[in-house]
Amino acid sequence: MAKSDRVAAIGVGYSTTGRRTGLNRRQLVAQAVTAAMRDCGITADQIDGVVLHAGIAGAEPPGLDRIDALDVAQMFGMMPISFYNSDQGGPAYIHAAISAIAAIQSGQAHTVLTVRVINQRLSSEQERDSVQGPLFVPGDSQFTQPFGSVTPIQTISALPAQRHMERYGTTEEQFGAHVISQRANAALNDDAIMRDPLTMDDYLNSRFVSKPVRLLDCDYPVDSASAIIFTTEERAHDFAKKPVFVESASLSATDVLPAGFEKVLDMNHNSPFHAAELMWGRTDLKPADVDCAQLYDGFTIIVFQWLEALGFCGEGESGPFVESGATKLGGSLPVNTDGGACNVGRRHGANFCIESIRQLRGNESGARQVKDAEVAVWANAVGPFSGAVLMTSS
Amino acid sequence: MGISSIVIPESATAADYPPIPEVDNLTSFFWEGVANHQLLILRCGDCGTYIHYPRPICPKCYSMDNLAPERVSGRGTIYSHTTTVQPFHPYFVDKVPYNLIVVALEEDENIRITSNLVDLPNDDIRIGMPVEVTFQEVAPGLTLPLFKLA
Repeated sequence: MAKSDRVAAIGVGYSTTGRRTGLNRRQLVAQAVTAAMRDCGITADQIDGVVLHAGIAGAEPPGLDRIDALDVAQMFGMMPISFYNSDQGGPAYIHAAISAIAAIQSGQAHTVLTVRVINQRLSSEQERDSVQGPLFVPGDSQFTQPFGSVTPIQTISALPAQRHMERYGTTEEQFGAHVISQRANAALNDDAIMRDPLTMDDYLNSRFVSKPVRLLDCDYPVDSASAIIFTTEERAHDFAKKPVFVESASLSATDVLPAGFEKVLDMNHNSPFHAAELMWGRTDLKPADVDCAQLYDGFTIIVFQWLEALGFCGEGESGPFVESGATKLGGSLPVNTDGGACNVGRRHGANFCIESIRQLRGNESGARQVKDAEVAVWANAVGPFSGAVLMTSS
Repeated sequence: MGISSIVIPESATAADYPPIPEVDNLTSFFWEGVANHQLLILRCGDCGTYIHYPRPICPKCYSMDNLAPERVSGRGTIYSHTTTVQPFHPYFVDKVPYNLIVVALEEDENIRITSNLVDLPNDDIRIGMPVEVTFQEVAPGLTLPLFKLA
């Protein structure tokens, strides 16, 4: 793509984030969008598109307020707008980002606000309260839930992780090395929630949820909203912050939900490999050009598949690659420099986009800044669907 | 009508039953087969493709009129497995730790069946183990296709 046709990210913002904030979705969104607009000094009349992704993991808390993209546009006085999209499915925040990028590339809008909002309680509370009497399960789930396959921890995480271990010799300590590394990054991030350093003993003593997955392999459910504003390259220089550019982007689906996670043909080689192939096919850059990678860590094993899919190590070699220290700050490929969703909270991918932008701006990441970062990749989701975006600083 | 006729006592709670299949037009053959202790998988009579989970059309040749359940061997190998320690549903509170397996069927390894292995300590389960189907009534009126070592 000609340089002048690129899409740029210009503003980012987070809401208050934490457990039981008492804030509903409109309140969280209002905070995050305000933060993103202030970040780049944009006004509502300069935005002509809104994409909101509002799905949550597990059952919705009772009484959750309804919100869609038009609610956001109306709250901020952005009407009339020329592009909008609201959805609950797909690979979380990256679905919104790709939609916005595609809208700008096609000319349906020039400046699109993307928002991800999550309002949820502890996963265990949601699961418990979602069950009243005997539960009848329709659709594909009737082939999985009766056997006790009732949480993504089993299907997105435990089954693939177990297969990776038996197939490639990946070890618990290699999973632990990643968990410890990204916690160390979180200690350098004021936006992170979990910031105390971890040892390997801490990891190995963390309780199992579904073997081989430990509590410390799971991201951390929170109330949170995130907002990122994209615009054309032509307009990108009109705002307060140094723009960051979308070099290439991809979205992939290889199967369906809800039970697709158990029947992806290869649990260690699924949509991320397709998404990575598409993303690299749309740029002249190579994996060796990447200065930092922000890889979705709903569960540890997902990071491992992305490292392989994106070509940072050979297939099956993510365990030794992580164990070597390559993915730590100061290593050849720092990964999840903000601490990842395990430590900043489950923002369903938006944090990886925001951290990529901050790293590429070059002056916003403090002690976790990757020196001279010019190229960053971020990725979201796994299994039946996912996506990846490559961004550059110039 | 097999499982679609299952009668849940008024007093039954979520602790008494695992999630119960809600049978529909496309899936009733599967659960009727299970009630008769047969593992049936939908197959395209035109091109031979096995189709699971059931769909109204063959993804290979788009046949819609020549799809029929076929009894399969019930044999396969373990594709992956986990032992779940934390219960996420009331029925499993006194069942943990329990295993969950995904079986690749002998007839077509791309057909995957989620189930439980019944006759081996959880820690001894390994990928690649040969298994075969066995039918057990796990709660009154609810029979499931489980697996044992072959």
